[in-house]
Amino acid sequence: MAVSGFEGFEKRLELHFFGDDPIIFQLGLRKIVFESIQQVLEAVQCTVVSAVGNSYFDAYVLSESSLFVYPTKIIIKTCGTTQLLKSILPLIHYANQIGLTLCSCRYTRGSFIFPNSQPFPHTSFNDEVTFLEDTIPSNLCHRKASIMPSKSSSHSWHVFTAHSSITHRNHSDSDIFTMEICMTELDPILARKFFRRPGDGKTGDSAGKEMTELTGINEINPNAFICDFAFDPCGYSMNGMDNDWYSTIHVTPEDGFSYASFECVGSVNDNIAHVLRKVVQIFRPGTMSISTTSNDYSNEMLKKMVNAVEPLGLKCRSRAVDRFPASETVVFQTFMARRRSV
Amino acid sequence: MGGWFSSQPLTESENSRVKIIHSLARWQLDFNEFKESQTLVVIDFSATWCGPCRFMEPILDAMSNEYTDVEFIKIDVDELSDVAKDLNVQAMPTFVLLKKGKEVDRVIGAKKDELQNKIREHRA
Repeated sequence: MAVSGFEGFEKRLELHFFGDDPIIFQLGLRKIVFESIQQVLEAVQCTVVSAVGNSYFDAYVLSESSLFVYPTKIIIKTCGTTQLLKSILPLIHYANQIGLTLCSCRYTRGSFIFPNSQPFPHTSFNDEVTFLEDTIPSNLCHRKASIMPSKSSSHSWHVFTAHSSITHRNHSDSDIFTMEICMTELDPILARKFFRRPGDGKTGDSAGKEMTELTGINEINPNAFICDFAFDPCGYSMNGMDNDWYSTIHVTPEDGFSYASFECVGSVNDNIAHVLRKVVQIFRPGTMSISTTSNDYSNEMLKKMVNAVEPLGLKCRSRAVDRFPASETVVFQTFMARRRSV
Repeated sequence: MGGWFSSQPLTESENSRVKIIHSLARWQLDFNEFKESQTLVVIDFSATWCGPCRFMEPILDAMSNEYTDVEFIKIDVDELSDVAKDLNVQAMPTFVLLKKGKEVDRVIGAKKDELQNKIREHRA
C-alpha cells in the first residue's frame, strides 16, 4: 500500500426535500438554476466535467465524482479531499428560495485509505457528525450516527441520518433500495484499461466512451444511456441513466491505492445478481463491500447477492445490519477474494 | 442570486449567433433551406428545466462566434416536441449535426470537447 495517493473512497450525501405547492413540486429541485448549482459545487471545490438530463433527473459528472438532481432529492458523491458537507447550507438556501424544505439527510462513507490526508471536518467521523448536527436544521429531529463494523478495523461503514417527523415517503418506495459498492485492490491488468494511452489525440469524452465499451461497463444495464469521462493520465467516471434509474461508477486505477465504486438504485424485481456479476468481472477486486439502504431487507435478497459473487471468488466475510430513523435499514457486507491468503 | 423560475422560454443572448426556432412553420422553412446548402447546421435540443442544458449554453454561444461558417440553431423540446420526437431526442442536451438536411453526427450530453471536435470534423 502506498504511503499517500489519491483517495478513491467517496463521501456521499443524499438530501430529500418537500414542498406544499404541487406546481413547484413537479419540477422541484430542477427549478434551481444551474448557476446556483455551480456555486454549491464551488463551495465543495468540484467542477462539472460532463452532464446530461432526461425527463426524470439531471446527472452531472464532476471533477471529483457525481451529482444527481431529481425533483425531490439531490445526491452528491465526491472523492479525494473535497469538503462535501459544505454543500448542505447553500443547497438548503437555494431550495428554500423556491419553496422547498429539507426533510431528510443521509451521509455515508466507507473508511478512507489515507485518513490523515482529509481536511476538517473529515478528519474523523466524530468531527463529521458534530458538523452535521450543527448544520442540519432542527426540524430534522430524528437523528442517528453509526459506524458499522466488518472483520477488519480498516473497513467500516459510517452512516449519519436525520429525518423530520413528517414522513414524505410513497408506498412505492418500499421496494426500492440504494446499493453502494466499494472495491479496492483491483486486478492490475483490468485496472490498466482505465489509463489513457499517451498521445491518443482523444478528448476525455471519447476516451471515456472507449473505456466504457472496452471494459463492458455498457453491458451492466444495456438500456441505460451512459455519460462517461476519462481523466488524464488515468481515472474514469460515468453516470448511467434509464428513465428514473441512475447508476454511477468511479475508478482510481493506480496500483497501491486502486479503487472503484459502483452505485445504483435498485428494486427487488431487478436482476441484481447480473449487475453484481458484471461489476466483479470488470474489476476483479481483492476486497469489496456492498452497502444497501432500504425500508427493509430480505434475507433472500442478501443471499442472492452473496450467491452472485461467491462463484467469482469473493467470499462473504462479514455482515452488519442497523436500523435508522424513519424506518431505514442499512446492511453492510464485506467480501474478500479467495486468492488473498493474507 | 438565482431564484427565478426557469420556466420562461429560451431567449437569444446578445453575444451569440445561436438562432432559436420557436415555431413549426419556421422550422419547416429553415429545414428546406438547409437541404439546399453545404453549411454545417448544429441543432441544440434543450429544455428549460434541464440543468445540463444551462451548463452548455455559454459554451455553445462561444462556439457560434468562433465557427462563423456553421449555422447554430436551438430548439426547446417542449415547444417543438414533434421535431424532437422525429429526431429521436431522449436525453438533453442533444446536438444534431446536419449537412444538406441529413444527419451526419450527434452528441448526447453536455460534452463540449466532443462537440467541438465533431464541428471541426464536419464543417469542411
